[in-house]
Amino acid sequence: MEFQEEAYEQKTGYTGAKNYQSAQIVQANATGFGAASDDFMERGIDLNEQLVRNKPATFFFRVNSDAMLGAGIHIGDTLIVDRSIQARSGNVVVAVLNGEFLVRRLQIQEHSISLLPENKKYGSIQVAQLSDYSTWGVVTFVIHAL
Amino acid sequence: MQAIVDCNSFYCTCERLFQPQLLHRPVVVLSNNDGCIVSRTDEAKQLGISMAVPYFQAKDLIEKNGVTTFSSNYHLYGDLSWRVMETMRLLLPPGHVEVYSVDEAFVDLSHLPTENVYSFCLELKNKIEQWTGISVSIGAAPNKVLSKVANRLAKKNKLKTNCVVVLDTTKKIQAALQQTPVEDIWGVGFSYSEKLKVYGINTAYTLSIKDLSWGKRFLGGVVGMRLIRELKGFKSHSMQAPRTEKKMIATTRMFGRNVTDWQEIEEALATYTTRAAEKLRRQHSAATGIAVFLLKKAPIQLDATYYNRGRQVSGYTQLDNPTQSTPDLIKAVVAIGKTLYEKDEVYKKAGVILSGFVPDSALQTNLFVAPIDTKKKKLMHVIDNMNAAYRNDVLKFGTSGTQKNWKMRSEKRSKRFTTRWDELCMVK
Repeated sequence: MEFQEEAYEQKTGYTGAKNYQSAQIVQANATGFGAASDDFMERGIDLNEQLVRNKPATFFFRVNSDAMLGAGIHIGDTLIVDRSIQARSGNVVVAVLNGEFLVRRLQIQEHSISLLPENKKYGSIQVAQLSDYSTWGVVTFVIHAL
Repeated sequence: MQAIVDCNSFYCTCERLFQPQLLHRPVVVLSNNDGCIVSRTDEAKQLGISMAVPYFQAKDLIEKNGVTTFSSNYHLYGDLSWRVMETMRLLLPPGHVEVYSVDEAFVDLSHLPTENVYSFCLELKNKIEQWTGISVSIGAAPNKVLSKVANRLAKKNKLKTNCVVVLDTTKKIQAALQQTPVEDIWGVGFSYSEKLKVYGINTAYTLSIKDLSWGKRFLGGVVGMRLIRELKGFKSHSMQAPRTEKKMIATTRMFGRNVTDWQEIEEALATYTTRAAEKLRRQHSAATGIAVFLLKKAPIQLDATYYNRGRQVSGYTQLDNPTQSTPDLIKAVVAIGKTLYEKDEVYKKAGVILSGFVPDSALQTNLFVAPIDTKKKKLMHVIDNMNAAYRNDVLKFGTSGTQKNWKMRSEKRSKRFTTRWDELCMVK
């Protein structure tokens, strides 16, 4: 049986934040005039809904380099990485090259894979045919403190 | 069809996921207290490092070959185990995944036509690996015992099988059984396999052609009968509901070093009681029975061929009122511990076992004893929530001590990459 990609999307979307019960909705429980807005209370904004699309496949990393400064990724930032997304050319990814974790923009061309930095201080890395390379996961969000 | 999904060298794979420089290198993980080897990568197996051997025995081999050694990091393994199981639950209908252990799950595939089982298993294996980074092997067959047989073969030759073996015809089942020694059948322990060999039964196949009545007579009654029935291809074991409520909760640990001092034993007992009481409250139970044991260090015998166990002393109390309150339980545990403790003895291990559970919603109080204090329940609730929110036991009871010199050794533990903000994996 083939997995259908669409069915997947439906099944896995927002799984990290689905565990929510109607009892968790906050009410004013006003003692005086019944709060008029109680009828309209709904679930508040939960960052997990937006940032964690597929919980079992989502991991967090800490940035330790300024190689992706141009993409808005600073030293000390938190990366949200989703392993369930198929990496495409142009994605920012966490890659493993010769046993080391790197965050770079992935460029896939017909015969080669490159890891591109977004900081002039760094050069792009052409992944040699025989080197030990794998894409660990796709970076979906970066959390940066101002 | 049923399948068993089993993670490959699970603890080692968890370590490698965040330390990719260890890929293709020999890695081992040690048990609690850095005692024995509990997980090995294929590279470590090839060096001749056996499963469950004490660390000190394998130390020469480990150092000579530059094997990377880790202490158990249960925070990491527990989280990754949940991810593997959750991935399966998302990809299968509700109730089709039975978590069997930290790294194994039985999967019910009865919703699929037999001809689709192989491609589904392959797809499931690939998805689990892509999503969680944990590689698994899958064995599928008409029942649980045969799925275990299939899984063993899948693991044995990963390159050839691609980590998936499906036994969907009588012919394949027979061939698989012929390749399976009796001692490797699920549920056949060491003593039974020795016994079976005496009867001339060396492979799973020869056992499978025995009569059910033979199994009943020589293989422990109904259990043996069921085993042979499954080997014949019939189904005797059904999927089990998750065991959410335990009838007994035990917390036992080896000490990190020899302990003689009562105060240290008291601290250890109080800490174990705290853990057990947390589990008790999490399943909404209260306990009436409390057992405590202390294990003494065995006299050293250099020429002993088997592991020499020290003498164990134990005691038991039946409480007047069921309780789930940590201080009440500590009080009872420490009282028992005091009666067991002997000065000038050396202890290696201690344990606390809670039993006789009743639901905490309807605590039946003893008519002649003071009624249960609902304030205690509230207090424990607050403490549990604070400890869960802040992690690391921010609130503890004084008896459990602050020094914890007796605590288990875990000198080579990796970071808790997936559960702690300040221990996240670094990326350059």
